Amino acid sequence: MKKLVQDIITNLSVPSITFADVRFTTTDDESIYFEKGNLRYKDASLDSKSLGIRVLINGCWGFAGTTDLSKKSIDYTMLKAISNAKHGSLFKREKVDFKAIDPTIASYMHTPKENPFIMDSEEKIAYFANIATKLTKNEKIVYSNVSASFYRQYKIYANTEGTFTDSLVYDVLPSMMVMASDGRQNYSRKWPGDMNARRGGFEKVRAFEFEKNTDRIIKEAIDLLSAPSIEEERADLIIGASHLALQLHESVGHATEADRIFGMEISYAGKTFVKPTMLGNFQYGSELVNIFSDSTLENGLGFHIVDDEGVPARRADIVKNGILQDQQTSREIAQMLGLEPSSNMLATHADEIPLVRMSNFCLGAGKGSLDELIKNTENGYFVDFTKTWSIDDNRYNFQFTTEIGWKIKDGEIVGIVKEPTYFGITPEFWNSCDAICGEEEWDLHGTFHCGKGEPGQVKHLSHGVAPARFRNVVVNVKA
Amino acid sequence: MQDTFKEKLLEIIDKNPSFKFLFAYSDWETDFLRFYRSQTNYNISKRATALNTTIYKGKKSLSFSITNPTIESLLEKVDEAMITIDALPEDPDFVDIEKDTRKAEERIKANNIEQMSLEKKISYLTKLADAVEPYKFKIYGTFICNNEYTHLITSNGLDKIMRFSPIYFEAKAVSDINQVTVLEAFGSENALSFDIDSIIKSLIGKIKNAQSEVVDVDPGEYEVILAPRCIGEYISYYTWSCCSASSLDHKNTLLEGKLGEQIFPANFTLIDDPRNPMIVNFDYNGEGHLYEKTPIFENGVFKNFLVDSYYANKLNMTENGAQGACLVMNTGDKEFDEMIKSTKKGLFISSLHYMNFINPKESSITGLTRDGTFLIEDGKLTKVVNNLRFTVKISDIINNITEIENKAHTFPQSDNYGQFSINSFSMPHVKVKAFNISSSTKTV
Ligand SMILES: [Zn+2]
Repeated sequence: MKKLVQDIITNLSVPSITFADVRFTTTDDESIYFEKGNLRYKDASLDSKSLGIRVLINGCWGFAGTTDLSKKSIDYTMLKAISNAKHGSLFKREKVDFKAIDPTIASYMHTPKENPFIMDSEEKIAYFANIATKLTKNEKIVYSNVSASFYRQYKIYANTEGTFTDSLVYDVLPSMMVMASDGRQNYSRKWPGDMNARRGGFEKVRAFEFEKNTDRIIKEAIDLLSAPSIEEERADLIIGASHLALQLHESVGHATEADRIFGMEISYAGKTFVKPTMLGNFQYGSELVNIFSDSTLENGLGFHIVDDEGVPARRADIVKNGILQDQQTSREIAQMLGLEPSSNMLATHADEIPLVRMSNFCLGAGKGSLDELIKNTENGYFVDFTKTWSIDDNRYNFQFTTEIGWKIKDGEIVGIVKEPTYFGITPEFWNSCDAICGEEEWDLHGTFHCGKGEPGQVKHLSHGVAPARFRNVVVNVKA
Repeated sequence: MQDTFKEKLLEIIDKNPSFKFLFAYSDWETDFLRFYRSQTNYNISKRATALNTTIYKGKKSLSFSITNPTIESLLEKVDEAMITIDALPEDPDFVDIEKDTRKAEERIKANNIEQMSLEKKISYLTKLADAVEPYKFKIYGTFICNNEYTHLITSNGLDKIMRFSPIYFEAKAVSDINQVTVLEAFGSENALSFDIDSIIKSLIGKIKNAQSEVVDVDPGEYEVILAPRCIGEYISYYTWSCCSASSLDHKNTLLEGKLGEQIFPANFTLIDDPRNPMIVNFDYNGEGHLYEKTPIFENGVFKNFLVDSYYANKLNMTENGAQGACLVMNTGDKEFDEMIKSTKKGLFISSLHYMNFINPKESSITGLTRDGTFLIEDGKLTKVVNNLRFTVKISDIINNITEIENKAHTFPQSDNYGQFSINSFSMPHVKVKAFNISSSTKTV
């Protein structure tokens, strides 16, 4: 396959084509789904191959992708990409332009401790069947499910600047949930929450200790039926890592994808309140807030050697000591903003066009443990486990509901509360952050499901976070 | 699908009577133009061929998909699956795969990738960009043509072909000055009905409204006029969540035991109508069941859940194959202009963004407005309003409909998470009282 990719690049290395890149991926996906204790689906798409060719001609991108790797199809795909660029350039005023980059030639092969694609299938099913059965053993639990997805992708990337890399990675996404009902109201609890994807193999599934947590989520879901709701208008919130990862994702991650500044995503994902003039001076958060994009973190789902336009992996400091400094960019957009490309141009499969995407998007650690932070909080709530999320077109006004909250009084947890809903305005919220837990609480939390682009792509990525405290947040929103 | 390949599938079914097979062979092609700032962002062509297979043995099942399948790769996977299936646990609720062998009348569908060539797309976009330029607006959006073919073959004798070739066009005009945005969309399988001049006329009308001052409004209850795509989106969330047989099984709908009861006022009728000439038509649902006209609400009375084969068996219900992809709401007796004129103070909402359920059982939801929210004062659209957040129960919205337009409008929907599939709804403008705005985004 490497030869095939190299041959295409050789064919595209002609003066009329300013730049071209070619990607090839082989993707394995397997998913298992239990509902109310019974296996509903076991599905696999293995060895799924695709190829994508992107060319820059007359200052306009053209792209074509295919799953058919016959010579005839590849020739057709190449011609389609060229024709798409040429036609597109007839409706193009501002020509795409970017700086050359030194070539990278490298290979990265990740080996998980327990390869989910070669482990015994019966053992794998039995592992989840056992959990699925346990979740059904209480009459107040009216619904439950257990799911797991396993992923492996081999990728070759090559471009006309001489970059040639290949890589192999493994990711897992296990989850369980229960819903308790008293006939009138329903409350659900998940484990380990919505940012539950990890880079690695089955060892990462075991690390979540599902069996140990089944009784806990059943009890919490049932207890929520009789728990009180939040009464205050505003309160101090400590946000747990799993939900904070999503808060970071929605209100900073997407907001600092610079393609949005130029309206490239207006038709679907939306705009951003961030403007180029804010770089270097806008107070995005309090002084404690340091946010960075780092595709060199091997434990994250966003690790790579180069992104999907040949930019080597790197860390970019997006917010430093509270001030907005940088953006997540492509080579084209970095040039438009006078920045260095941040290595964030990524596609899900080879037959999809790369877009500005989060890789490992992280909130830098502060100091101290979660227990200490709770002890130092006079009055407030610890909230975690996302239930509802929503943010506006400009990534400015968000509203989240978590499955559960724990009331804190004089540094102690005194009970649980029903589904706290809180609302905020992005910079006001991040400026209200007055504590972030330390390295001991910091970890990479991942997802398989970040949607962007048209045709849509769902991307794997990670967020490094530790629990953090936000002062005086609006917590009492009712439907 | 080539005849030899189809024969092989039938041979596998014949040779293995102790198993049941469900084969879905699909060939999907798209030409996708994305534009921004009145110029091309990128052009994509993509083609994917796949075979999705599910094998059943008694109450055990196993699925797999193969991209770009060959007879060899298929036989290898089938052999493997017939062995591994033995080790799987049973699903005691599973009874049988789809049994509906009735066929829809075959319709000839043009390949709109060919009908709507890249040259044509570029010429339309150039005309549209030129038309909005004098107002200091630029166009942003997508112009998509798909050509899809799925052939379903099963052990229960289903042999059905589904073809789609929808056109999906969405253009937003965005102000160079303050980013105020308005939207125009087109979704149909009839390329001849794409009329760039009427699209331009409509978009310019919206741009004229969008040139007024931008203001903020306080949270609270408002009388609102919802554009067809907004009421359509609320209703579709409600239908998929509260009216599906799966929600009944999951104990997550208040409609349990309410078939035949008056749920909403008599002015509300909703039909899942896959052959309605206004919208993208479907012959079959995803399982191959004939997709027929199914009333969901008739004069406010709840008539049908959406019931697929699995939950029909599990819950002992009659399968109807409805899937809520072709929702059509009744029209009323009001001219749209009259609806605006009779509003003393209110909001006009053009489009919605990022909705999510807070409590699906109660149909409570939060989300935002976008692409043009306007203040109505003394019967006129007077000002642009910042995008607003609403926190509402969809059932309250339907209960609070006070006026319905006498005309329906079609708008496209896309499933952007799977393979980009396109459907459309037909809805009128509606006026709704006591609509809860929970906060402002302070941006447009
Ligand atoms: Zn996302």
